[in-house]
Amino acid sequence: MTEQAITAKLPSNGPTWSRYRYPESLYRFGTLLVVVLFLGYSLHFLNVDIAKLIGALGRLVGVVSDRYYPPDLEYVLDRGYLAAILDTLQMSFLGSFAGVCLAVPLAWFSAGNVTPHRVMFPVGRLGVISCRAIHETIWTILFVSVLGFGMLAGVSALTMFCIGFAGKLFADEIEAIDMGPVEAMQSAGANPLQVFLFAVVPQVRVAFTGIAIYTWDVAFRAATVVGFFGGGGMGWYLKRNVQQLENLRVAAIILSIIAMVLIAEFLSGYLRSAVNRAK
Amino acid sequence: MNVLEVSDLKVRYSAKGPEILKGIDFEVKDDDFLAIIGPSGAGKSTLIRAVNRLVEPTGGRITLLGEDVRNLNPRQLRGLRRNVGMIFQEFNLINRMSVMDNVLSGRLGYTGNLRSLFRAFPQSDVNQALYYLDRVGLSDHINKRADELSGGQRQRVGIARALMQRPKLLLLDEPTSALDPKISREVMHLIRDIALELKVPALCNIHDVQLAKEFCNRIIGMQDGIKKFDGATETLRDADLEEIYAMEVL
Repeated sequence: MTEQAITAKLPSNGPTWSRYRYPESLYRFGTLLVVVLFLGYSLHFLNVDIAKLIGALGRLVGVVSDRYYPPDLEYVLDRGYLAAILDTLQMSFLGSFAGVCLAVPLAWFSAGNVTPHRVMFPVGRLGVISCRAIHETIWTILFVSVLGFGMLAGVSALTMFCIGFAGKLFADEIEAIDMGPVEAMQSAGANPLQVFLFAVVPQVRVAFTGIAIYTWDVAFRAATVVGFFGGGGMGWYLKRNVQQLENLRVAAIILSIIAMVLIAEFLSGYLRSAVNRAK
Repeated sequence: MNVLEVSDLKVRYSAKGPEILKGIDFEVKDDDFLAIIGPSGAGKSTLIRAVNRLVEPTGGRITLLGEDVRNLNPRQLRGLRRNVGMIFQEFNLINRMSVMDNVLSGRLGYTGNLRSLFRAFPQSDVNQALYYLDRVGLSDHINKRADELSGGQRQRVGIARALMQRPKLLLLDEPTSALDPKISREVMHLIRDIALELKVPALCNIHDVQLAKEFCNRIIGMQDGIKKFDGATETLRDADLEEIYAMEVL
């Protein structure tokens, strides 16, 4: 049948259909309108000067080339600073290890589908949320005031950060499992711990490993900031040199942080894809 | 003797939701292989899950192995559940575990936490698992992962797992729906033979009326949460079937 023949067969007053139906269309376009209006209002209210913003980029280049160039690379190759890099690595590793270990039970408690007990659910949720609610810099300041400057405060702060970070992701992962095996284990008379070990862990094992590696990656980045606020490591060197206006050293330190973060990022990406392949 | 007695069983999933079971009465005798038939949405799965409280009943009375199921605390309930082997439509195996570990998981109700943590099941359990794996014809697949098996093989693992509990009642929730007709028949044969051999009664949800007639000695017909038929398989007439399936729930 030709195109015309088909068109001719269609009744001129047949049923019609439109993607946009009232009132869904009203909600959709209404929401869009509100977002756009708020964006415009914010720009107006904050008095954002676009010209100034574009000019800032040029000034930044000027400042960097004036004061931060050339970076004092010898400083970052110094023995003491290399030890600080190692400190930061260890700190992130310890913090994420402890954090991930503590996050697993909390995630189990706070997963609505397999929580061992009604009372445990809010305990787990509250634990994870309170770790997340406080930023890692604030955790550092809190722990420094209790434990004093140094690695212990830094590791403690990173642990809290990792509990919040991994706990949330773990719980989401647990809540997405297939409930069939859970039902099967319950019907065999398994207790909540056994259900977790046999029906939940095998399903989330791979995802948890990936999340744990990612947590370390993120913790490493956080470790440099944690150091800045008194947790030791690279961040501590950064703070000292910023305060002493040793700009060329600051430049070198920032470059070394970028390099280390890139390495961590690459390594974590590689490990996670390896884990996913292994299934 | 009655293994299971259910009277006036009612279930609704939420306070405002529809009543899924509207007062069901029946009993399972110790030599029954009882089929529950009925259209989709009749409440067959809910009924079978209410027996061991995987679904919480909202009314009525369930007496299983002499115990009032609705009055048990969590520990007592687990103690009772391990006497009831369950076989599922979607097999509900742990895909990333080996066939052996899947079968051994049927013993969890009898295993302590520490042993469970290291999957250190007693040698007697391992021997029993080897025996049942042989009985269901999976001796060559013991170390394979469950997700490497075909549908029929997976259901055989499910059967072996249920048998590991040394069940006093088998609950079968559409054990053959996910399988093709030939394998369905084989699996039903296997289950019935083992049930006869071990003298375990069974309560079996099944939507395939032919299979129900072929393998079960008694049939319960359900429709929209109500029991419409209850009698020996020979007494089920076409008129009864027409009544059971008259009002398909869409």
